[in-house]
This record gives sequence, structure tokens and C-alpha cells, in this order.
Amino acid sequence: MNILETKGLYHDFNRLEVLFDVNLQVKKGERHAIIGPNGAGKTTLFNVITGTYKPSRGTVFFKGKEVTGAKPHHMVRLGMGRSFQITSTFSRLTAFQNIRMGVLSRRGIRFNFFHKVDTMGDVTQETDEILKRINLHGERDMPANTLSYGKHRSLEISMALATDPDVVMLDEPTAGMSKDETRYAIELIRRLTEGKTAVIIEHDMDVVFSLADRITVLHLGEILASGPPDKIRENKAVKDAYLGEMEG
Amino acid sequence: MMNRTIKRIAWGVMLLALVLYPWLFGIYYTNVFVTFAIFALYAVSYNLLLGFTGLFSFGHAMFFGAGAYATALALTHIEGCPLLVALLFGFFGSVVLALLLSPIVARLAHSAFAMLHLAFGMLMYTLALKLRGITGGEDGIGGFPIPPFHIPGVVSVDMTDPLNFYYFAIAVLGGSLWLAWYLIKTPFGQIIVSVRDNDKRVDYMGFKVPQTKAVIYALSCGFAGIAGSVYAMFQDLISAAALGIGHSFAPIVMTMVGGVASFAGPIWGAAIFAMIEELTSRYTERVLLVEGLVLIIVVMFFPGGFMYLVGLIKGKWLGFIRGKGFGVITGQWFTKRSGKKATEDDS
Repeated sequence: MNILETKGLYHDFNRLEVLFDVNLQVKKGERHAIIGPNGAGKTTLFNVITGTYKPSRGTVFFKGKEVTGAKPHHMVRLGMGRSFQITSTFSRLTAFQNIRMGVLSRRGIRFNFFHKVDTMGDVTQETDEILKRINLHGERDMPANTLSYGKHRSLEISMALATDPDVVMLDEPTAGMSKDETRYAIELIRRLTEGKTAVIIEHDMDVVFSLADRITVLHLGEILASGPPDKIRENKAVKDAYLGEMEG
Repeated sequence: MMNRTIKRIAWGVMLLALVLYPWLFGIYYTNVFVTFAIFALYAVSYNLLLGFTGLFSFGHAMFFGAGAYATALALTHIEGCPLLVALLFGFFGSVVLALLLSPIVARLAHSAFAMLHLAFGMLMYTLALKLRGITGGEDGIGGFPIPPFHIPGVVSVDMTDPLNFYYFAIAVLGGSLWLAWYLIKTPFGQIIVSVRDNDKRVDYMGFKVPQTKAVIYALSCGFAGIAGSVYAMFQDLISAAALGIGHSFAPIVMTMVGGVASFAGPIWGAAIFAMIEELTSRYTERVLLVEGLVLIIVVMFFPGGFMYLVGLIKGKWLGFIRGKGFGVITGQWFTKRSGKKATEDDS
């Protein structure tokens, strides 16, 4: 069953076509990598799916319902989480407070004016459990912008998962990380997305081939190929357009 | 638990000091204190927008003015309007104005938000000047009756007595300050500071940003309205000057001098300005000159304001407390170090 699907998706910025008839199919429970050279439209595809932009044509289906053009907060409430390529945390809030936002959101605690948030025991407990799971418990009360780069990225990724989404969209989760940090982040992602559906934009081919169940290759706004890693590796068009140029 | 006891004692002492204040300092300084308290609430209401939601407004005076005019008009035109009803008129006068504007302003931020408020503020000022039939123009509305604080069959306190009015004003303003403080401790308070830090991500965490902004905007303006309402009753006069641009800048400079990053900052800012005014006006009429100088010194040397200075001293005194969230609340806002760190992360 496809938990996420786009049909004939087009998007343009002032008539500059960025997405061109994109038919993406993400099956429930898989880790789906989206690869492609710079400017292929990967992030734009994410933006259109998660609600930053409304597509100029085409439809997006999430859990069998049409959600084309739905706003980000709506998509989150339907069960989608997203992390960003450029770290986008609440910089002056602590790691704990950052994660807690996700916990509050999932529990539907929004316009609550009558309780102190610090005295909500179950929210605090759940947040602390997440912090432990992502190994940030030692940095619990440090403002996000004082964390080391690797930790800050972990926080970024974990915020997308703190709302406990069914589908999580990770936009270059390992961007700017060192080899060690990348290895650690991959383990983290593998652990946190267990039993969930993950869509991951990634440049590092080692990461892609070790993590993904299926891969979609985007090139100049079009899907070039989509399938399991082995098939993609041998695909002639993909080699010519992307993999070849990277290896050669 | 020890800490809690000390806190309770401190609050008790403060409450006692507030009660005894008029007896210790006489009626003149009692009135000075009421003025300070009015501006403290006004500045705190402003900082709910600036410091906690990241919304910079150049027109907060219109909400102070809306509260003041609503109360003055109610007391002038409604025969036997009770005191608390007049106060509610002030509160809702501002809230209604805020709700009328919120469909437009809640989708804005940064300079657009600031400049639109400048425009609306000037518009309100001009309206107050020109609609003489309602607002009394430059002369304003004055000499309206100040009703007693009256609970049928229980008590009736004459509010034209400055001492009684002091207790009433302190109760109302102090209560409002407590409500504003409680507000930022709630989950909603957590959402507004997240909007300040990164409104796009708030959307991606599943919260509606414009609605959140509209609610905090209305509440902030409501608090400003209460301050204005008490001001009108205190002076028994309200004129267009209360809507002027200078009155919009007062809470900005108070917040800046006191410290934008903490709840208590604007209160300290209001206190500092009250003291400057009191002390300088003994020697010269050029109070603004001194206030301007203080603002320049603060902006140049202590960009975090008075609270930042307190934080530094306290931090040195208590040793570096990490993990208590202390630095987060007091120091981090404008410090050069965190600023540099942020740009490093971006690159």
C-alpha cells in the first residue's frame, strides 16, 4: 500500500519548471531515498509534499486522502514529520524545550492557558525519554544554538520525530557532518525510523545504499528511475546522469 | 524546599512593603509609584510581543489609548457605571481593536509589522484629535466621575481618595502582571517563544502560527488596555497625547533598558525611567535628554539591558550554573557570544 503518493506533480517558480510530472510512490514501512544532482528539485518536491508550496499542477495523496496544498501544520497533524537541510531548531530554547514542542503537538496541547507546562509530568517524562533515546540527555538544558554541530543536527532530526509521525521526511539529515558524525546519525535514523515510513534526501551514496529499501532518482525535475538499490545501481540512465559522474 | 520558603518570605516582604508604602513615603511618592506601576504593566504587555513573540511594534500606544478612552467614555456617558465595569471596558476596548487588526497583522512580521503599527498608531492619534465630538480633541476627556469600589451590601470604598486608589491600582496592575507571567509559563507561552525563534518550524511542528500570533497579540493589547484604563482613572483625564508616537516608544525604551529577554526586564525599565524622571526633574526640565543618554549607554555597553547586568553579577556570584536554564532566560538574547555562534552555524 502506498502511504504517500504524488500524481502528475508539477511545480514552477515564475514559469521556471522545477518539478515535471513527478509520480512518486512511497510504500508503508519502507525507507525511501530520493537522490539526484544539485538542482534536481528534491527539496522542492519535499516542500510541495509537506505544504510549504502548493503545486502548480498535480495531486498529493497521504494515507489514501488527497492533501494537495495542505498547510504544514495540517500535514503534521495527519502524521507527517519533516526535518530540514539547513538546521532549523528553536535556537534559544533548550534541547529539552525543542523536543517538548513535538510532544505538546502530538498530545494536542496548544491553546492551553491554565496549566504550567513545567508541571505537566507526563509531557516532561515523555520528552526526557526521547532525549535519552537520542543521546542528548546530557545536553538537556543547553540552548540549541550552543550544541555542537553533530548534536544540533541530531536535535533537528529528532524534532521531526518527536510528534511521532507515521511518515518522516528527512531533508539531507547528514548535511555538513563529518564521517564519524554521519555514521552516528545513520544509526540514529535507522533506530528512530524503525517501524515508520521514512523519505530521505541524501547525497552520500554509501548512506543511501546502506539505508534505503527503495530509491527514487530525480533529475532536472523528473523521475529518472525508481526501485530497489540493486536495480538503481545498474540502471543505465541513472549511471549516465548521476552515478557515473560521481564515480568517474 | 528551602528555596521555596525563601521565595515565599520574599514575596511576603514585598507585599508588606507595597501595603505600607503610602504610609512610609507619603501621598506624593504614592502617586509616583502608581504611575510607575501603570507603565510597568504597559511595558510588560509590550514585551509579550517583542521579547516573547518576536514582534516589533511601533504603535502600542493605540492600545493603551483605546483602553483609556474606552474607560473614560464609559464613565462619562454611562450613568452610575461601576468601577470594575469601567475597567472591563478598557480591557475589551483594546482587545476588540486588536482583534479587528489581527487578520492583517498576524500574517506579518519584522519591519512590515512594525511599520504598519506606526501607520495605524498615527491614524488613531489623528482620529482622537479630529473626532472632537467623541474624544474632545486636544483637550481630551476629563472630569468624569470616578465611581467607588462597590460590592453591594459588603463594602463601598471611595476611589477619589488617593490612598484607596493606590491599593486598587496596585491590586489591578499587580494581578495583571501575575496573569501575564503565568501566561508565559503555560504551553501557549512555550509556543509563542518558539514563534519568536523560528515561526516556520512552529508550523512544521503542527501549530498554527497566525492564530497563535493573533491570540498573544489580543492578550498583549488587552493588558495595555488595562494599563490605559487605570491611567485614565488615575489622572481623571485622557487626551490625544496618550496616543502619540512618544507614547508608543516609551515601552520600547523601557524594555530595551530593562532587558528584553526576561519577564522582569520591562518592570525594571519602567522603574529606572520613573527614577530618572523623578530625580532629573528636580534640577532641569530636560528629562528626555537624560533618558536618551541612558538609552544610548545601555544600547552601546549592555545590549541585554539591566537584567543582563544583574544576570552577569548573579552568575559571577553563584558560579556558573549550567543546567538551571539561567543563562537561557537572562543572558542569551543579545550577548555577542551567542550571536557569533549562530552565524558560525549558518555557514
